Amino acid sequence: MTRNAEAALLAAAAVVASMGVALVNFATGRGFDAQVALTFLVFAVSFGSVHMALRRWAPEGNPYLFPIAAFLAAIGFTEIYRLDPGLASIQRWSLLLAGAVTTTVLLLLRDEGVVMLRRYRYLFLATAVLFLLLPLLPEAWTLHGAEINGSRLWVRLELPVGTRSLSFQPGEIAKVLLVVFLASYLADRHLAMATTGRKIGPIRLPEPRQLGPILIAAGASFAVLVYQRDLGASLLLFALFITMVYVATGRVAYLFTGFVLVGAGGYFAYQTFDHVQRRVFAWLHPFDDFADAGYQIVQSLFAMGSGSLTGSGLGLGRPDLIPAASTDFIFASVAEEMGFAGSIAVLAGYALLLAAGFGIAIRSRDVFRKFLAFGLTIVIAVQSILILAGVLRLFPVTGITLPFMSYGGSSLLANMVLVALLVRASHGERT
Amino acid sequence: MNRPIRIVATAVFTIFAVLVGAVTYHQVIVGPEYRDDPRNVRVATGRTGRERGTIITADGVVVARSEADPDDPLIFRRTYPEGPLYGHTVGYTTLLFGSQGIESTHGADLVSDRDATISGVLSALLGGDIRPKGLRLTIEHNLQLVAREALGDQRGAVVAVDPATGAILAMVSTPEFDPNVLTGSNAGPTGVALDNDPNEPLLNRATAASYPPGSTFKLITAAAAFESGAASAGTPFPNPVELELPGSTATISNFNGQACGPGTEVPLSTAFISSCNTIFGMLGMEVGAEQLVGTAESFGFNAEVPLEIRAIASTMPAADTFEFDVPGIAQSAIGQRDVLATPLQMALAAAAVANGGEVMVPYLVQEIFNAEGIVEESTQPLVWLRATSPGSAAALADLMEGVVTSGTAKRASVPGIRIAGKTGTAEVPNAAPHAWFIGFGPVAPGPDDPQIAIAVLVESGGDAGEAATGGTVAAPIAQLVFAEFFGVGQEGS
Repeated sequence: MTRNAEAALLAAAAVVASMGVALVNFATGRGFDAQVALTFLVFAVSFGSVHMALRRWAPEGNPYLFPIAAFLAAIGFTEIYRLDPGLASIQRWSLLLAGAVTTTVLLLLRDEGVVMLRRYRYLFLATAVLFLLLPLLPEAWTLHGAEINGSRLWVRLELPVGTRSLSFQPGEIAKVLLVVFLASYLADRHLAMATTGRKIGPIRLPEPRQLGPILIAAGASFAVLVYQRDLGASLLLFALFITMVYVATGRVAYLFTGFVLVGAGGYFAYQTFDHVQRRVFAWLHPFDDFADAGYQIVQSLFAMGSGSLTGSGLGLGRPDLIPAASTDFIFASVAEEMGFAGSIAVLAGYALLLAAGFGIAIRSRDVFRKFLAFGLTIVIAVQSILILAGVLRLFPVTGITLPFMSYGGSSLLANMVLVALLVRASHGERT
Repeated sequence: MNRPIRIVATAVFTIFAVLVGAVTYHQVIVGPEYRDDPRNVRVATGRTGRERGTIITADGVVVARSEADPDDPLIFRRTYPEGPLYGHTVGYTTLLFGSQGIESTHGADLVSDRDATISGVLSALLGGDIRPKGLRLTIEHNLQLVAREALGDQRGAVVAVDPATGAILAMVSTPEFDPNVLTGSNAGPTGVALDNDPNEPLLNRATAASYPPGSTFKLITAAAAFESGAASAGTPFPNPVELELPGSTATISNFNGQACGPGTEVPLSTAFISSCNTIFGMLGMEVGAEQLVGTAESFGFNAEVPLEIRAIASTMPAADTFEFDVPGIAQSAIGQRDVLATPLQMALAAAAVANGGEVMVPYLVQEIFNAEGIVEESTQPLVWLRATSPGSAAALADLMEGVVTSGTAKRASVPGIRIAGKTGTAEVPNAAPHAWFIGFGPVAPGPDDPQIAIAVLVESGGDAGEAATGGTVAAPIAQLVFAEFFGVGQEGS
């Protein structure tokens, strides 16, 4: 039975995380302490509860998605622990919360599966838009928006006790809700969108009326860029809209229009925003402004170069020199301490995850499930490609988290739910 | 509609292939460049940020230790409790300036095994000790202190060595620098200022600078004569006021511009004790270039000294360069012309005489001990070169003792100890002469008596300037070190 394999692999991932913590402890002279057992326990409880839910409510679902996610989370967690044990202990709570929420989602979908979501698409759209707008709440309110590193992506809830506050990134949840909305919308409309249109020369242009959604998509992502100053989220949303419409209609014109719009939008953003110019300059000439704009990317290159084939060993490198080492640049941290071997393992992990996701989309007969699985997979794909390409200097740094590995509760929560939806969609995928 | 999904998936995996290519490029192909980039502080911090072993002197004074950062117990700062006193020998290990001295050459012993990930884990699992090891030097702290104080503000060097083993007992170079300033908060500007200082405080004058040895080189000329049989201590030599050099207008005269004492003939022993240039010029020409160069090389010239830290070769030009330059032989025989020696080399020459003609391999690290203080490695004395036969060495020792009892090195004498020595006043164009003393004591020690050989160099005459001689400037410094070593004369002073 495939779920036994899943259980064994999840247990292995928990062992990887706890052994990683043990190695860090050893290398930094802390000795074997409660952190090792605690980490194993948290991974076991979080992924274990999801596993039990799957065993019960989606026994035929793909058994490899969660183990791969858990493996990536284990590598990421080890590196976060190495960089800052304090962050790691928050991340452990996030992991428990994400496990609980994911289990709850599976519980809610127990009878009808993901198809149930199709009915509530406008609720999800409204929630997604609301979530995207939340960071714009005025600072004075108890629940208010917050700007971190120049991007207004955060919502902070001031707790009534003391000066503590709870921060989260609603955009992370919004992207999953948007996938559900789009899959549902396109499942109803894809035939109409695919068959209408007028031909000009060899290109069949869509009806102007059918271009509506794509223009809305472009507008929404551009609004995100302008108001939240977040290039990464904007590109992610846009790529999601364009590829889903393309898959739903099979018409290259949408893809083509999308590329043109991205190019135009990117050019406009470059002309208009300092921070975009700065990032492009840092990408093209990182060594020219070593001390300032290029510092982060150069430190990341130094880290990866110093890591070489087998890495410095956990706890023995200096990934702490890279700004945002535990979030955006977690990959460079892993590359330094686990070397080329670790980098390739991580890339292989994402590739396997995406292959499984695309496979579910291809095998699904129901169009909604097909679009949903494809959209969820694309979210992981675009997100990981954007940030990895930024870290590897193939693209300007866009400031987006690496799914499962980066420090951050909202991202972890959203991505675990995302994978749960994928697995649930694959349960009974042939019907 | 699976076709578009396949197309998108293909595009995604193509991009992943590019990512793999980029990782390969950054980590494997250009990785070493990034790693060694001077702006990448990783390599330097790898050596300084972690705990390193303690370095102590032969008598247990701590000269280098790692102190945990009060804010982060995993980050250590290297400190040098004796400040500048051991700056040149122990050296430093720093973030900005790399490492030098013993800190550099024994880096592998001083760093904990935690560095080697797999072997470290294995070693720890098997119950091994991964803590850094410590070093015990051969240097005696009290000798080092006395030698440093004796040099005062003068530029120069003192090297003291145990003739029988090669163990370095003291090694001082002035001006000095405090390695602590290179690890501190203002390290950058301070280090650059030290590097640009015209007095060259970072230069280890004991091992990495060479000077004309002047009359101290007569020891080697005499050795060449004894070894070749060209002369013995009693051989009489003509005694001119001035030695005319064949085939040139140049002459060699004695320090005081007079003949070598009364009489038309004087024995070689008198010429050595009074340091007569005329007679040693003659002797050099008689011995010949081949023998002179050969003997110098058997004392260690023209070879890098196999000390743990960098010790440059002292130079004696090759014999064939003197083929048409007979005056050059005469001038080389009195330690001028192109002969250059480090203070370490001259200390080893004196030590060879004390040790029956054998030059020992000099060393600074006596023991490597683990974190429990248990000695894991101990340096065994090794013969480096045979400079002279035991007979020649005994004859040379005799001459050198005469220099201290009745010659130019009277001010190196220590009551109750038979001291042997040779002074040198090396002329330098357009500057005050370098003052030298080399010597050892006691002559003919009992089986358990400790021995010490010393070289003292005071650059450009030191405080005495143009008036400086080896006997007045360098010999008294050696005397203080001898007195400390033999425990003589401290009670009263």
